[in-house]
Amino acid sequence: MIRPSLRNGEIATLAAASIMFTGGFYISLKQITGPFTGMSSYAQFLTPMIVVVAISFSAVSAAFRSATDAEQGINQRFKTMPMRALTPFTSRITASMFRCTIALGVSLTCGHVIGFRFNGSLIDTVSFVGLALFFGAALSMLGDLIGAATENPESTTHLMLLPQLILGFLSVGVQPANRFPEWVQPFVRNQPASQFVSALRALAGDKTPSAPEATWSAIGPSMLWALGIITIVIPLHILVARRRR
Amino acid sequence: MSLVWADHKSLSANRTPYPQAKSALRARNAGRHRLQRHWENSPRRLVVDTWALTLRIFRRWARDPATMSQSLAMPVVLLATIHILLEDGVSLVTGHSALYGSVPLIAMVGAMTGSIISALGIMRERSGGLLSRLWVLPVHRAAGLLSRLVADAVRILVTTGVILCAGMVMGFRFKQGILESVAWLSVPVIFGMAFSVVVITLALYSANTIAVEATDILAALVMFFSTGFVPLDQYPEWIQPVVEHQPVSYAIEAMKGLSLGGPVLVPMIGTVLWSVGIVIVCAVPLALGYRKASTRG
Repeated sequence: MIRPSLRNGEIATLAAASIMFTGGFYISLKQITGPFTGMSSYAQFLTPMIVVVAISFSAVSAAFRSATDAEQGINQRFKTMPMRALTPFTSRITASMFRCTIALGVSLTCGHVIGFRFNGSLIDTVSFVGLALFFGAALSMLGDLIGAATENPESTTHLMLLPQLILGFLSVGVQPANRFPEWVQPFVRNQPASQFVSALRALAGDKTPSAPEATWSAIGPSMLWALGIITIVIPLHILVARRRR
Repeated sequence: MSLVWADHKSLSANRTPYPQAKSALRARNAGRHRLQRHWENSPRRLVVDTWALTLRIFRRWARDPATMSQSLAMPVVLLATIHILLEDGVSLVTGHSALYGSVPLIAMVGAMTGSIISALGIMRERSGGLLSRLWVLPVHRAAGLLSRLVADAVRILVTTGVILCAGMVMGFRFKQGILESVAWLSVPVIFGMAFSVVVITLALYSANTIAVEATDILAALVMFFSTGFVPLDQYPEWIQPVVEHQPVSYAIEAMKGLSLGGPVLVPMIGTVLWSVGIVIVCAVPLALGYRKASTRG
């Protein structure tokens, strides 16, 4: 599963998308929103967002993969083979975690180039990586489920793009919540993508003392979101797998 | 497909029901049904065939929910999110609503992402053998390609119209005359067609869809680095020349001039020059590639 992703340009697209988002947001928005973030630099503010975007992109490709598998009937073939029912699913998720790791690496490299640094302790940094991958696992399972349920690679990608767009742009990742219009602020502050961005931001730390602290109240909601997604998605997976004759 | 059907009809019309009475008639009409009234590549056939094939593409799109959502719903949602995201920041800097830049921007992005769908359609028809099937039918040689471009132009116009309506709801207004407003609508069509030509050429020469889908990244890049996203002076000094002279910025500036007011002639010339230049570069490879795609296998 990993080998074709190097060959068919999936990894290249993933890397290109990370670089593009870093450049696109950082260069064009640095001057217009940079001074309002309350952090030492716009790079420090933006990079968690880049990480979240990159990981959600690998979830989209997980959905694409599982939809292709379902469409081409390889799942049926797996069923006739002497293996556990969840083996195809877990192997798809493993391959997706590989893509998430690469996405994380590329986006952190991009962040490093524009000036992002880890300022927290070693534990903070490790938990940054862990949380990002945990989030990636939850999203990959969700994407995999959507792909397996629709069995249509093209429409799956579109289906995933819309929420990604809304949750990505209308989050605290690009600019602080108080820069949004009043009526949309509660949504911006509390939606899952914002929770993840602020948790990652807290774990990355900052040079200024006004930086968000890495407390449970900062990180807890995002972990609950990821756990919630996983606990809802796995039973649904079993349902979808049973549905198929 | 309807062309084949028409030929069948003319065939059966020549057949009389009574075999005995037929021989004289047959002698007179021998082979008449084979005579083509219009030569296969006559200009008249071009118009008829292009129209038939264009309608075919429209029917296909109308029945495909992914196409409809991608070319109609996506741009509207994108416009709404960008509007919410940037309205306050940009209008603070420029003094007028950000919509005069973001509505044209999204119209251009919609035109560009739509041509990716169109190009993927061509690839599917190539691998499905439809292109080669049309090639052996008495259809004008240029009709297949022309119908694609005509359909694309109409698609861009419709998408722009929908985005315009959404923009109007958010507060976008034409502050110039009717003539300018009509010209405003035509700007995305001009550059969108040129972009379609590029993507279709790319599709005809590439074996898998990754290359075509990667133009999505190009579209996003062009979106981030255009004057419709953030005003020009907000970009760092070193990238300003790129932002200023890329085709989408020209188109956006022209559209800004046509709606809000401001210079129109220079950005309009820039848009047209970019578009014509792109079409000139791609025209020959496009025609050759279409022929190759239709005669393969």
